[in-house]
Amino acid sequence: MSDKGDIPPFPPTCGAAEHAASDTREVASGGLEGEGKRWDVPLTVRAERLGRRFEDRVVLEDVSLEVPRGSCMAILGANGAGKTTLLRILATLLAPDCGQLRLLGTEIGPSAARRSNGASLLAELRRRIGYIGHEPMVYRELSARANLEFFGKLYGVPDPPARAQHLLEMMGLRGRADEPARFFSRGMVQRLAIARALVHDPDLLLADEPFSALDAAAAMATEVLMGHLLAAGKTIVMVSHDAAQSLRIAHNVVVLRRGRIVMSSPTSAVDERAVLAEVREA
Amino acid sequence: MMRVLRQIALLAGKDLRIEAGSGRTLGLVVVLGLLVVVVLGLGLGAERRGAAPAAVLWVAYLFSGVLCFEKTMAAERTDGALTALLLAPVDRGVIYLAKLTSNLVLMAGAAGVITIAGVVFFSFDLSAAPLEFAAITLLGMIGFAATGTLMAAATGSSRLEGGLLALMALPLALPLVMLCAQLTLRVFRDGGACGAADYATLAAFDAVFLTVGWLLFEWVIEP
Repeated sequence: MSDKGDIPPFPPTCGAAEHAASDTREVASGGLEGEGKRWDVPLTVRAERLGRRFEDRVVLEDVSLEVPRGSCMAILGANGAGKTTLLRILATLLAPDCGQLRLLGTEIGPSAARRSNGASLLAELRRRIGYIGHEPMVYRELSARANLEFFGKLYGVPDPPARAQHLLEMMGLRGRADEPARFFSRGMVQRLAIARALVHDPDLLLADEPFSALDAAAAMATEVLMGHLLAAGKTIVMVSHDAAQSLRIAHNVVVLRRGRIVMSSPTSAVDERAVLAEVREA
Repeated sequence: MMRVLRQIALLAGKDLRIEAGSGRTLGLVVVLGLLVVVVLGLGLGAERRGAAPAAVLWVAYLFSGVLCFEKTMAAERTDGALTALLLAPVDRGVIYLAKLTSNLVLMAGAAGVITIAGVVFFSFDLSAAPLEFAAITLLGMIGFAATGTLMAAATGSSRLEGGLLALMALPLALPLVMLCAQLTLRVFRDGGACGAADYATLAAFDAVFLTVGWLLFEWVIEP
């Protein structure tokens, strides 16, 4: 379990390769810092020709992307472009209808999301993934501390109370840690949701509009937190509607339109106007 | 095995902790059960003897149970907490067993109050075979909760509507409930007289419902 105090400073550095040689890429950096640097890293996410339909409606089609370890990818697109569906597939909540997906070195088959987990690879994989969704995914009747301790125990975190305390301090919730979350403002609930997603110190953080409902200070603190996570070798895939913020944080940007990738580029190679143009053409 | 038991205790404990904080589910369930006993008791009038008390008790248990299943699953779906559970490295069968456990605890709590109301209202005598009555009720509730927990997971998904829960759970559990009502009647009328075969039949129902529920839960539950 990494502690915030142990997180190394920027620029991002990558640990020992844990994937096959074919799972490494030379990546052009953009994003928070390290502008213009290139480094060879293993891939945390490798998706090839993913497709998903809901009944007759095609939601994702022919989506391929690669996210190197220690990098951040921003996924942008208009409403209904398939961003959340893609993120849910990466979280193993949804199975793709077709295509191949490799997460943290583990191959995910089309039926993976349905497979019994238990001691399976999928369970081990989920132990390494954190997910921030549209909904906070916490229990409002429980306090912030009780929520974090509960999820910490569920993930087998060594010292759940200590981890919960650390996250409460990190997310600025220490003062109201023992109040039921139903008394929290929307922004505070979102901060709790972020803490919940980080409780097991995941290697891959999937964040669906993580800055929604956050005030300016909390959004800035979250950006800094994401920077620390990247510096610690964690990988982030985030869905956002804010092109400027995405370009500031991420190393790579992908724009989805009607389920297809219409733009995929290092953030250092594009500007906000170009990204917005692609998003708006939807 | 110990790990699984710890996970069940953690998940069920969370449900009961939430309930202890709000008291909403148990309050509603008890009120519904009491209403059933009182309304049917008043409606039956002079017919309060014979088979009526056993039937009324089981009707009250069933309706309060359905409300229990619906409320405990709704607590998971509110704010997407269920998604967080499904993402955790916990077997979905364990989530099912934990939800079943918390439903059983709540149903047992409600049944205690409902039974006392039944004793007062119908003046039936449990003193002759209290353990037999408790065993029949417990075995019946395990089977019913096994069915109801599974159906609550299925009907709460986006494809089906929650209102279907009673329509799906009650017919499935009907054979078990009929047997329980008959055995309960025998306890009231004869002061016991249930044989090992009766308990074995109830246990067999429970085993089938539990196994099917445990196997199907991961296929019907959707975030």
